[in-house]
Amino acid sequence: MALTFARLKLRVLRNGFRGRPGKIVLFVVGLLAALFYGILTALFFLIPYVPNAPDWGAVVPAFGGAVLVLGWILMPLVWFGVDETLEPGRFALLPLPRPVLLRGLLIAALLGVPAFGTLLATSGLAIGAGVGGGPLPAVTAAVGVVLGLLLCVVASRAVTSGFARALRARRTRDMAAVLLAVLAASLGPLQFLLTSGAQQVGMQRLAPIADVLGWTPLAAPYVVGLDAVQGRWAAVAARLAITVVTILLLAWWWSSSLESAMAGTSGGGEVRTRTVTGAPVARFFGRARLPRTPYGAMVQRERRYWVRDVRRRASLITFTVIGVFLPVVMNLGPGAAGNVVAQSVNGGSMVLVGALAGLGIANQFGYDGTAYATHVVVGVSGRVELRARAVAYSWYIVPLLLALAVLNAVLRGDLLLLPVMFGTLFAAYGTGLACAMHASVWAAYALPENQNPFAINTGTGVAKSFLAMGAWFAGMVLAVPIVLLVVLGGSVGAVLALPVGLAYAAGAIWLGLITAGDILDHRQPELLATITPRT
Amino acid sequence: MIPDSAFALQGLVKRFDTKVAVDGVDLAVPAGSFFGLLGPNGAGKTTTLSMAVGLLRPDAGRALVLGHDVWRDPVRAKSLIGVMPDGVRLFDRLDGTELLTYQGLLRGMAPDVIDARVTELLDVLALTDAGRTLVIDYSAGMKKKIALACALLHAPRLLVLDEPFEAVDPVSGAAIRDILTRYVAGGGTVIFSSHVLEVVERLCTHVAIMANGRISAVGSLDEVRAGRTLEDAFVAVVGGRVSTGSELSWL
Repeated sequence: MALTFARLKLRVLRNGFRGRPGKIVLFVVGLLAALFYGILTALFFLIPYVPNAPDWGAVVPAFGGAVLVLGWILMPLVWFGVDETLEPGRFALLPLPRPVLLRGLLIAALLGVPAFGTLLATSGLAIGAGVGGGPLPAVTAAVGVVLGLLLCVVASRAVTSGFARALRARRTRDMAAVLLAVLAASLGPLQFLLTSGAQQVGMQRLAPIADVLGWTPLAAPYVVGLDAVQGRWAAVAARLAITVVTILLLAWWWSSSLESAMAGTSGGGEVRTRTVTGAPVARFFGRARLPRTPYGAMVQRERRYWVRDVRRRASLITFTVIGVFLPVVMNLGPGAAGNVVAQSVNGGSMVLVGALAGLGIANQFGYDGTAYATHVVVGVSGRVELRARAVAYSWYIVPLLLALAVLNAVLRGDLLLLPVMFGTLFAAYGTGLACAMHASVWAAYALPENQNPFAINTGTGVAKSFLAMGAWFAGMVLAVPIVLLVVLGGSVGAVLALPVGLAYAAGAIWLGLITAGDILDHRQPELLATITPRT
Repeated sequence: MIPDSAFALQGLVKRFDTKVAVDGVDLAVPAGSFFGLLGPNGAGKTTTLSMAVGLLRPDAGRALVLGHDVWRDPVRAKSLIGVMPDGVRLFDRLDGTELLTYQGLLRGMAPDVIDARVTELLDVLALTDAGRTLVIDYSAGMKKKIALACALLHAPRLLVLDEPFEAVDPVSGAAIRDILTRYVAGGGTVIFSSHVLEVVERLCTHVAIMANGRISAVGSLDEVRAGRTLEDAFVAVVGGRVSTGSELSWL
């Protein structure tokens, strides 16, 4: 049975490639990247076992493993989405017992580039244990590696489907709850990073943390190799038990959320039959003071969609979490305020977040799916379309960015930094937005029409999100002049940062608008074709 | 320009990979006609209509709306047609009123005109009761009706409808038929695709039958029927499999 699922997954993957050489190329590039980073990480994991290892080598498995597991949990939420090639809902009509289905889906999930890369990377632990302690530790470490991979896959599935279920509810009340939950969840790692970073980083500080990590599911499967080499078999048994129990618990959670995915819950389904009052146009705009034109209509509709569409909501929420998390961690690390390094780190984090904020619209047409046909039929002008979308998105993002900058300035205890931070942040937002606009026209991709807001089609989806990453990078590079102005410009640079940054952003967005808009005018049917899901 | 044809397709071709979906379609839809485009599944009806309204770029050929080329002069041509595509989502996270208002604003209509027409359209199509229900929660028939309302809102001269009677219950179907008949009586032109031969026979003045990406028969309803029922004519043109009565005996 499990074999059938594996064959099905490979068949779907292969059929997806048929007649699309570009997709194959991107897949191969992804595979090569996994190979490269996998081998690199495997070598890194060998460090604790080599003779005359540096004293920090002992903590490598614990920290490396924890990063891997956290990556598996967070990356799908933030960036890639989950590969739902074999979507659970498709099996709803088949007489399959739940355990069989779960096993099948798990095996299908294991057959993928990320799982391959992870296995390759952690294989370094088993090899190292073999070199350092002989065959028995090697086998022990190998068991840990396999269990670790299972843990990663099950955890990522369970968390995304659980999160998806929470986000599916339409009412905004739920959104607030989810937001709080995510914020609370990110406080843990935040605190950990703050305490470890704020104090001088040293072996005596890191070792206890690694010790604690080793007893959590995050790193337990990855440190058993070291234990085995040192002959601590009780610890090995305990850690493996922790891992297995965690896997079983996560599988149980996944299985329970699988049921709701298979039933195909149609989004809360509350039917509001309250009657409509007031003139339609006045009701459509509400209190928004927008022109009663195609432009105004699109801004208003986009604003509604950023709240009403689950996928868009998910992307706003995850950006908020990263936006809070990233600069705080980067800025409160070692190195006090004042010097050039601190200034660069601060500017860099602002650029990172600003460009990432722009990236939210990189697949803005994909969110609409075939509904975009309405705009094609009417013949909306490309520049107007992109301007309306950028304005509506900024309506949510700009206040958020302002709040982020203020939060950072307060945490650093230096409110005088604010103008500089605003300048860099918005310059990067402008360049990021301009690049994302182009990405949205050139590299749009279809999102499957199912309920999981994190689901993407394997192959094209993942490949195109690499292009979006390229847009992020381009956005950051384009914002570098402003960072240079701040870092090298001294007090003059600090004064000029805000006005120059804002003007720079405006210029970038304007250029992006007219270039991408004119391209869009000539690409509307092609764009519609790329965002139409193939069923 | 051909003055008496509201809608003209000339040599439209579309290939997907190696498969030729539409293989040189020529069609002239006379102004004021009620034109039915028939054909079995996969004949290329949707592909043809998509190319004709600017949703899908043809590999060759052109489409003229009242003399304006859809691909050379899209702004003018698109303002003259109302389109109801099939298998395409609407902006369905708006409620019915919001969706129609949005459509009107996109078409650049004046707010007071939109107010009057939206209210009237929802009333005639019996969608007022849906209130603030989002279109995504509508039934299939309601979705068809709201899509038709979107196509009608700016009072186009030509309506292009893909499968307007699919998944529609008899009451809604009658309402749609009634609206379309009055629209044609008022001087408008309708072209729609359908499988429902009975509706086509009742409504249409002109018919075209598509099979394998080509137009196999075209003309006024009587010309195409040539004395037979439309169903017989359809099967004869398309070439269906004749049952011998011996298959599926295990059923």
